[in-house]
Amino acid sequence: MSAAPALSPRWSGQSRVAAFVFIAALLLFPVFITDQFTLHMMSLVAINAMVALGLQLLFGFSGQLSIGQAAFYGIGAYTSGLLTTKLGVPFPAAFLASAVVASAASLLMVPITRLSGIYLAVSTIGFSILVHLVLKNEEWLTGGTFGLIGIPRVSLFGYTLRNPVYSYFLCVGSALAVYAALVRLERSRFGRAINAIRQNEDAARSNGVAVTFLKSQCFMIAAFVAGLAGSLYAHQVRYLAPDDFTFWKSIEFLFMVVIGGVGSLFGAVLGAAFVVLLPEWLREIGDYRMLVFGALIVIVMLFGEAGLAGFLRTISRRFGRAFGRHAAGMRPPAATPGPSPSKQDSNG
Amino acid sequence: MAEVLIESSRLTRRFGGLVAVDAIDFAVNAGTIHGLIGPNGAGKTTLLNLIAAFYSPSEGTLRFRGEDITRHGPARRARAGIRRTFQNLKLFAEMTALQNASLGLHASNAAGVFDAIAGTPRHRREERAIADAAYDSLAFVGLGPYSDVVAGTLAYGHRRLLEIARAIVARPALLLLDEPAAGLNATEAADLSGLIRRIQAQGTTVVLVEHHMDVVMSVCDTITVLNYGRKLAEGTPSAIQENPEVIEAYLGHGQKPPPQEAHAVS
Amino acid sequence: MADQTYFWDLLVGGLAIGCVYSLIALGFAMIIRATGIIHFAQGEVMMLGSMSALSALWLLPRLPAVAVMLAGMIAAGVVSVAMEFFVYRTLRVRRIPIMNVITATVGMSILCINAARIIWGSEPLRYPDLFGTLAYAFAGVRVSPQLVWIMVMGLAVMGILQLFLKHTRTGLAMQAVAQDPDAAQLMGANLTKMMVYTFGIAGIMAGAAGVMLGSLFFSFFQMGFVTGLKGFIAATLGGLGSIGGAMLGGILFGLIETFSAVYLSSAYKDGIGMVLLIFILLFSPTGLVGLWKRHR
Repeated sequence: MSAAPALSPRWSGQSRVAAFVFIAALLLFPVFITDQFTLHMMSLVAINAMVALGLQLLFGFSGQLSIGQAAFYGIGAYTSGLLTTKLGVPFPAAFLASAVVASAASLLMVPITRLSGIYLAVSTIGFSILVHLVLKNEEWLTGGTFGLIGIPRVSLFGYTLRNPVYSYFLCVGSALAVYAALVRLERSRFGRAINAIRQNEDAARSNGVAVTFLKSQCFMIAAFVAGLAGSLYAHQVRYLAPDDFTFWKSIEFLFMVVIGGVGSLFGAVLGAAFVVLLPEWLREIGDYRMLVFGALIVIVMLFGEAGLAGFLRTISRRFGRAFGRHAAGMRPPAATPGPSPSKQDSNG
Repeated sequence: MAEVLIESSRLTRRFGGLVAVDAIDFAVNAGTIHGLIGPNGAGKTTLLNLIAAFYSPSEGTLRFRGEDITRHGPARRARAGIRRTFQNLKLFAEMTALQNASLGLHASNAAGVFDAIAGTPRHRREERAIADAAYDSLAFVGLGPYSDVVAGTLAYGHRRLLEIARAIVARPALLLLDEPAAGLNATEAADLSGLIRRIQAQGTTVVLVEHHMDVVMSVCDTITVLNYGRKLAEGTPSAIQENPEVIEAYLGHGQKPPPQEAHAVS
Repeated sequence: MADQTYFWDLLVGGLAIGCVYSLIALGFAMIIRATGIIHFAQGEVMMLGSMSALSALWLLPRLPAVAVMLAGMIAAGVVSVAMEFFVYRTLRVRRIPIMNVITATVGMSILCINAARIIWGSEPLRYPDLFGTLAYAFAGVRVSPQLVWIMVMGLAVMGILQLFLKHTRTGLAMQAVAQDPDAAQLMGANLTKMMVYTFGIAGIMAGAAGVMLGSLFFSFFQMGFVTGLKGFIAATLGGLGSIGGAMLGGILFGLIETFSAVYLSSAYKDGIGMVLLIFILLFSPTGLVGLWKRHR
């Protein structure tokens, strides 16, 4: 026991192998699957996963329930779309600008970080609805309900990425970079502090943690990532309509986080795949598609309280491998976001 | 002995019509262990919460090292060197003991989001130092072997110790202990007395709210007795034990003292 | 614009739509109080009530307005109880984290929307005029009978709920369970039964709202989503879990929406209520109820 204790559990050999296999599979995917539509869907999974990863940080780690991430995603998408179509800004600059604008918009959230649980969530819903209305009504800027058309393909260093394989790599690469950054963040002083805020805000305060500042930082990071994802989305589909960024889209991001497993970064990725791909796979059953989708969500909630990541962890444990250990995170799922309102009110 | 670390002047806190703390003038000398006792509802914990900024005073001022800190919030006071424990344990239940203790060092480090993502030397240096200091603090309170145990699964007595470890890891100037002996058995309480003295020996001034009279009488240099939100008496443990007003407050008015207190005072 | 009749029209219209929101908000408030769940399928319960009442009307075209309303209320009540019985109870028994339960309610919402689309089709369905078409005149001001009846019936339903909660054994037991489940259970209240009552009443309120909303505009498989959301926001505006707050919040939200659509901007009518909500929350982080308590 002479070894100095570690603040974060070290990655086991199996986790390293699992991560390597996962990344290798993502990189080799286009070699075996060349179908353009499938690649497009995988790019969309990566884009959505980025937003879900940001939301995982915001909700899963810092405990702030936002049902408004589509707003930042939309702001990022329109920023990139407008900069490239109207001002001819090159993609890399527009990509970064989207993230900066989205996280600047998230500064509006600073006052509401002092709200707890559901009240915070409702305020983010309000913000999401407002942003959607702006996108819809400010035709001079956004094209209104007609949408924003003619967004160019991504072009890097004078080379336009026409082949969907390249945009696949761009999206997957960005998602992996975001993932890696958030893993590092989770295992840092910042990550521990925001987890502490979720678990006991009073205790965090009494240890000198600047709660409001860190909570705002979480909103900014989540919005930054959502902005990047929005930019990628704009150039992936090359047509933006306000209805891509409704409150419903915000709910979808929340689905990804909860279905994947609250508090698990890998879970957010799995959740994104579930929410993006499942309705596509269910297309064959036509009208019953969303019916089954809704039912499946209820069923996943019934059987996997730690989400898909927890499910994976159980399976891997059963098979005696450690594949899910890193994947599923290290802690049980978070309980109630904030204090139960019924308790607060009953005191009056 | 002469330097005053924290000092209140006519500090008052009202809850609706109830005056929980009533114009208290209170001073703690640097380097001492200062006990706060009194019957239930005397305002001890309220006074502690006022010092830690978990309540804001209705009136009066609070000075720490001569500086007026009345308007400073809890996090700011913690950064200035006022740390506390809680009567009903507020740990980060899903984190390990080591991670819990490391939170106490949050404010004394600087690596932020960019450092963590980029893995800068500052980040790595600080992480190492934080882990070492947090482990030392755990070892100091006797939790060394439990550093990897998740806080929520620790035994009750260990959780109390963990809170203390987290509060002292940054070597604060002032430590506020809110009933640290509650729920501990006699042996554990005796160990706690030793721990509080060792904390004092490290240079930390301690304010102790406690019902357990054995602990209070054995460790405190000075004791302040509160009753109905007012200061009833102040002095050394032996002076307090012989003070007729204090005995009256505990035994008089038909008010039944808690068993531990009865045992200690009688 | 500032003509008097128009103002009264708007006022009655705002109050009527406000009553619809109030009824939905009441369901949210009751369920949150009792279980801590944000029941996102509440709007869909309303929609199913509305659709069922319309179907009843198709079967029996001579059904009086009150009976149509009752049909909608009963149908929605049954749907709501079924959800509690088959889904939420299981989730509760398995001690699933509340966030997952809330997600499951959104899943239920998707399920109901698409079930309704399959059963009733995706076209908006016209409601016959339940309450006649001749305008009422009050002191020279003419207002639509639809709106007046909706207001009257909405207030009546809410009044009956208040009486039930305050003056019946069951109602009082429900209040007790909401405030302290453990203590109430020790006192002999049957938690399971109380949950069924809670969801039943929340459903009945939503059903009434559904028939009202249907008769104002039309019935539509997607009608529940946005309306349900507004009901939820109204409940938050009032102060989550407060019955009085939910009623007030709903009516206020209806008025704000109606008036701001005309006097400020119709494009942003949904947004103005939101901005106001956020400001109220910033000022009083627990809604209107918190504001009232603070100034008492």
